[in-house]
Amino acid sequence: MATENHGTVETTEAPGHEGGGGLPQLQFEHWGGQVVWLLLIFAVLYVVLSKGLLPRVSGAIDERGAKIAGDIADARRLKDEAEVQARAAAAEVAEARAKAQKTAADAKAKASAEAAERQAKEEAVLAEKLAAAEASITAARDEAMSHVRAVAEETAGAIVEKLTGKAASAAELKAALA
Amino acid sequence: MADPMHQFQIQKIVELKPVTIPGLGAIDLSITNSVAAMLLAATLVVVFYALAARKAVVPGRLQTVGEMLYGLVDGLAESIIGHEGKKFLPFVFTLFAFVLFMNIQGMFLVFTATSQLAVTLTLGLLVILTVVGVGFAKNGVKFFKLFAPSGVPGWILPLVVLIEIVSFLVRPLTLALRLFGNMVGGHVVLKIFAGFVVALGGLGVLGWAGAALALSSVVALTALEFMVAFLQAFVFAVLTCVYLNDVVHLDSH
Repeated sequence: MATENHGTVETTEAPGHEGGGGLPQLQFEHWGGQVVWLLLIFAVLYVVLSKGLLPRVSGAIDERGAKIAGDIADARRLKDEAEVQARAAAAEVAEARAKAQKTAADAKAKASAEAAERQAKEEAVLAEKLAAAEASITAARDEAMSHVRAVAEETAGAIVEKLTGKAASAAELKAALA
Repeated sequence: MADPMHQFQIQKIVELKPVTIPGLGAIDLSITNSVAAMLLAATLVVVFYALAARKAVVPGRLQTVGEMLYGLVDGLAESIIGHEGKKFLPFVFTLFAFVLFMNIQGMFLVFTATSQLAVTLTLGLLVILTVVGVGFAKNGVKFFKLFAPSGVPGWILPLVVLIEIVSFLVRPLTLALRLFGNMVGGHVVLKIFAGFVVALGGLGVLGWAGAALALSSVVALTALEFMVAFLQAFVFAVLTCVYLNDVVHLDSH
């Protein structure tokens, strides 16, 4: 490419060139000044950047990174804390529920126990009454049954007296009815 | 058509007395357009970073760009050189920023410092001398192991050493010529196409079509040149890191 440019220069040569043809970059009389100035400028730029400006840039970048990392750590810590609290709250709720259930169960058991007791008492009273009633019925029946024989003896005596004209003795009547 | 090479002509702006350095002779330290371009670029770097280097946790636009460029070179040094890259970051970053601002400055003003072979060659030599200096400081005489890769059979070693030495010596030249060639080529092409616009525009209606075509090419090429300006500065920084890595990690060579 350089030689092509070279050709262009030669064909379109403008008058008054210091180097008289060729690449202007190859006019070596201008090299010394450029090299010296470049080294000077580069040295100054290097010192200014490395001592002054780049530490500030990297400081800002590091600071930002640290801040972001710190914020994320904070957020994570808060999240952990919140999770712990949520877990504690859940445990509390569960405990309260268990307590409530226990209270309810206790109340139910107590109530049913009381009911059962009351029922048993009632039943006992009723059974007593029933037994008394049965006893009185039995007594009444026994009494009635004992009267039946006397009535039968009387009736049989009256029938025999009517039929035969003479009264049968009590022993005969008893023997006939046995 | 205007001479497309005239833009590279060194012109004195402020005449200064030549300084005589023993052994080198008199050196003309006059402020030329090239020196002025370098000064301007360096000043812009400093001004830019003076404004961009802020402590704001939430960065503004300027600070974001400044930190992005810094992060770019930081990542480069870290990924190529590794943990020790931090030590060389200021050097690599200064090179990158300086070359980038010289390239970009050339897109706005009439003179591009990086289109001067004297400038790019000095930068290339600066890099390679730094590499040699770091190599010797870190490895002492073992630095020469750089030219003798391990695992090469004995009979072929002389040839490999020769090739390695030549490729090492050519590095400053390739660094310099790559940047120089890209900058010169881009600006010459821009100038020629811009010249076409004027030349064809004077030829009447048919010429106007050609001029419009040339003008759109100039617009497209200008965009391309902005990319090249950035890319070449980036490539310069990448290669500097690669060369530094060679001597920093000589043991694993």
